[in-house]
Amino acid sequence: MTGPSPRVQLAAVFRKEVRQTVRDRRIMFMLVAAPMIQTVIFGFAVDFDVDRVPAVVVDGDRSAESRGHARRLLADGTLLRSGAARSVAEAEHEVDDGRAAAVVVLPRGLGADLLAGRAAEVQVILDGTDPNRATVASGAVSRYFGEVGESLARERLLAAGVRPPAQVEVVPRIAYNPGLETPPFMIPGIAAMLLLIVTTIVTAMGLSREREMGTLEQVLVTPIRPLLLLVGKMAPFVVIGLVDVALLMAAGTWIFGVPLRGNLLTLLAGTLLYLMTTLGVGLLISTLSTTQQQSFLGGFLFTMPAILLSGVMTPIRAMPGWLQAITWVNPVRYYVEVMRTTLLRGAGFAELWPQLLALAILGGSILATATLRFHKRIG
Amino acid sequence: MTPKERIRRSLVRIGAMAAKETLHIQRDPRTLYLALGMPVVMLFLFGYGVSFDLERIPLAVADRDRTEESRALVDAVTAARELERVAEVPAERADELFRRNRALAVLVVPEGYGRDVARGERTRVQLLVDGADSVSANQVLAKVDALVRAETRRLSGPGLADRAPPLRVQVWTRYNPEGRSALFMVPGLAAYVLAISAVLLTALTIAGEWERGSMEQLFAAPVGRLEIVLGKLLPYVVLGMIELQLVLAFGTVAFDLPVRGSAVLLFSIGFFFLAGMLGQGLLISVVAKNQLVATQAGALSALLPSLLLSGMVFPIGNMPLPLQLLSRIVPARYFVHALRGLLLKGNGLDVLWPDLVALVAFVVVIVGLATARFQRRLA
Amino acid sequence: MTDPAISARALTRRFGGFTAVDAVTFEVERGEIFGYLGANGAGKSTTIRMLIGLLAPTSGAARVAGHDVATAPEAVKASIGYMSQKFSLYLDLPPVENLLFFGGAYGLEGKALRARADELLELTGLAGLSAATTGELPGGIRQRLALACAILHRPGVVFLDEPTAGVDPAARRAFWRIIRDLAAGGTTIFVTTHYLDEAEYCRRIGLMVDGRLVALDTPAALKKTWVPDRVLVAQGQGLAAAGAALLAREGVRGVAPFGAGLHLRVDPARWGEREVAEALAAAGARDVRVAAAEPSLEDVFLAVVDRGGRAEGAA
Repeated sequence: MTGPSPRVQLAAVFRKEVRQTVRDRRIMFMLVAAPMIQTVIFGFAVDFDVDRVPAVVVDGDRSAESRGHARRLLADGTLLRSGAARSVAEAEHEVDDGRAAAVVVLPRGLGADLLAGRAAEVQVILDGTDPNRATVASGAVSRYFGEVGESLARERLLAAGVRPPAQVEVVPRIAYNPGLETPPFMIPGIAAMLLLIVTTIVTAMGLSREREMGTLEQVLVTPIRPLLLLVGKMAPFVVIGLVDVALLMAAGTWIFGVPLRGNLLTLLAGTLLYLMTTLGVGLLISTLSTTQQQSFLGGFLFTMPAILLSGVMTPIRAMPGWLQAITWVNPVRYYVEVMRTTLLRGAGFAELWPQLLALAILGGSILATATLRFHKRIG
Repeated sequence: MTPKERIRRSLVRIGAMAAKETLHIQRDPRTLYLALGMPVVMLFLFGYGVSFDLERIPLAVADRDRTEESRALVDAVTAARELERVAEVPAERADELFRRNRALAVLVVPEGYGRDVARGERTRVQLLVDGADSVSANQVLAKVDALVRAETRRLSGPGLADRAPPLRVQVWTRYNPEGRSALFMVPGLAAYVLAISAVLLTALTIAGEWERGSMEQLFAAPVGRLEIVLGKLLPYVVLGMIELQLVLAFGTVAFDLPVRGSAVLLFSIGFFFLAGMLGQGLLISVVAKNQLVATQAGALSALLPSLLLSGMVFPIGNMPLPLQLLSRIVPARYFVHALRGLLLKGNGLDVLWPDLVALVAFVVVIVGLATARFQRRLA
Repeated sequence: MTDPAISARALTRRFGGFTAVDAVTFEVERGEIFGYLGANGAGKSTTIRMLIGLLAPTSGAARVAGHDVATAPEAVKASIGYMSQKFSLYLDLPPVENLLFFGGAYGLEGKALRARADELLELTGLAGLSAATTGELPGGIRQRLALACAILHRPGVVFLDEPTAGVDPAARRAFWRIIRDLAAGGTTIFVTTHYLDEAEYCRRIGLMVDGRLVALDTPAALKKTWVPDRVLVAQGQGLAAAGAALLAREGVRGVAPFGAGLHLRVDPARWGEREVAEALAAAGARDVRVAAAEPSLEDVFLAVVDRGGRAEGAA
């Protein structure tokens, strides 16, 4: 006598899971609407470009030249005049109290010195608390005065009759994202991150919930095969995950101008494999936990490092070698690469097969482990 | 009963509740790990793994000139370890390199470079940059620009310095002169870690009690609403303060974090922030009454704002106005601001009082809301 | 001679140092209603869990529906139905969805599944339920739904772990009607219960004390073995004092209040109805009527537990 058909069993689990999930409006909100809201907020909040750094200019010279320099320095918007100070001490006070992040000191006699061809020195005082901002501010000042110095040098050489040396100019041509806007870079990463949080934790808690409620015992007594139970539990969340990705891509494109260049089929394949992996991790965690609380903590403690070490916020290349090695088994890393390379760089299977393969291997082994650990016995 | 007697009895009841809650916590090691272990792990990861600075940028070269001068330029650019020459390809293959993640930029030296340089004319080199990764792209641009300028100066030969006096820019950095991002991040991390664990732990444990039905039993006992709230939160306040200590200690030891300001002020601010976060978790659990919903709501309301809208990584000043306003009701914002000022600059109450007031206000409002909501469940 | 539906041989389960089930041996025949009694914690649920393949035995063996529980647990599960002590259907789903799910788990689908679900709803008196979720159903109805889910696939053996706990008497009776119908149709029923009046419905009863099976027989035989006293019921006035006085007399083994009257256990050789009535009247009771009574299973139960599982007289 053959056992019950796997197809029928799988369909039964799937149907039940869908019914249970869809019935709870609050969960549906968390799974579908919340990621959308978060993406929009994230997209607007995250901006790696630092500009409008609050700055104070202490003009000790008060000449036409010095005022001109001050004006031109602030012209491009990297620095934003946040106040006035008559002395360096006053300006430093502004920095100490957090009202300014940079002070530019133009010394007395600057204009005259420059015109006369004498050496001159400009000072910049930075608030080092935010090193990124400090770097940007000092870079802006150095660049501006560097150019001033160079053009002065050139003029003098020409005036002295010497032929100025060659000038090599670097002309940048930025591919895929000419304005170097942050959203095209961040939104795919945000999508990967949100998908991870939503799917892993919900699945982890789902099985533990059944254990806590007692329904798992009844299910274990049926001839249902463990693999089918797990796959059936995952299935509705694959659908929800795909819907989420679609919504997030739509938001990305319409609100933030994220391009949609490459092979969308590759993106779909990558998304499915990624979902299989994240859901698999959730199920694996639930086989290791007895209560929902444990499941949640386990899932959460996995997702946090996974996100940090994925290249979503900071480049993997910037990590030390041993951390980079860990990212080889991080599915988020691969999915982010798939997303960014298809959407922005217009790639397809030919370039991304290594990432897809990695996701497939990770997902397959995690799911296999979860299935093996899931016994249809309670002791 | 005199008011004093009433208060004394109240305190006894609160103490009993707190003792019971402490027992629960002790019995679940995973909860303790979340509270005490995760912060250390996060700090560790953040300290070593989260950095924007790329050490070796893979650069490809397309040298169309092939003269001594062009090779000199390429060597100058790749001599420093910062840029690593990974391939020598025709410029047309740039896309392919970017898609396969082999290089971040391609330096294209045009034909005729050597001739132009020898004649002292103005010449251009092209830098094709992978704009999909805007963070890295900025760095590549800045580094290549600086290296090419240096090469230009070298080409101009000695003697230029005599004729054209330099215009120097002298940079001083107050607080964090080495520009270590760890010092910037740790206060933000402290806020993040406290927020996450406080909100999630209370949301989980209390929602769990609702689900299991043990809350009803509590209502049958002669304990007042406020007493329940305070009794349940007390152990978590203690846990949170231990966490704060742990984070600061780790920061001091591993990252040389300075602690310049007043310790009393530090722990007062920490206490009120913590209380606010616990209140938030409590409110969520009272409204959700279901562990799955509570955890998702907790993650949504604690993770996102603490990470994004607190100024931890991304400056609030750079965000669009609606988000800036939103960040005003995020306690983490005030905590991060105060903590940075206190630790790095030694700011005192005179500067930080607005932050403290905001945190206290939040605690009052949220504990009030939670207590009020609690009542409706009884009725 | 057909195989027994359930057979256990020295079935044992240990949890660390604690022996929950100690070398239990018995057989249940097909179509039999077999009752399993014992105090809380005696090991009844553990025994059931081993028999249905949910818990592996530490030692010993068992066969259920023709399959070995240790080597072929999945085959066992496909052939049995189970109702757990704690309600374990999905509270957030409508009742019919629970039936459809478990039916699907057993391989039923489509029209056949629907037809069977409808049939069971009729059989258990649940047709026309308007509850949106199973959680909204009252206790007794929920239990019937759980039973329905257990027999979707027409199993030959059904295990019921305290199926009527917390259910009102009318609902309990309805429940047992269904069980007896099932047994009449050839299904073997293995049931545990604390309601000793229900145990009278069983053909045979097993009694567990501290993990050991200390008694196994028909209710009548058990009563004879464990309660060899004659049991009498007395009605009248002023019985409390009179009964207390009687307790001192030789051959009177037990006197307990029973409703408004007395429940007496006496040595059948010395006391009969008439003698007891006379003694009570002499001790001050009025309007005394004494009648013979059957020992109840409660008497059996108390006697068994009392004596730690060791019977007086012939075992």
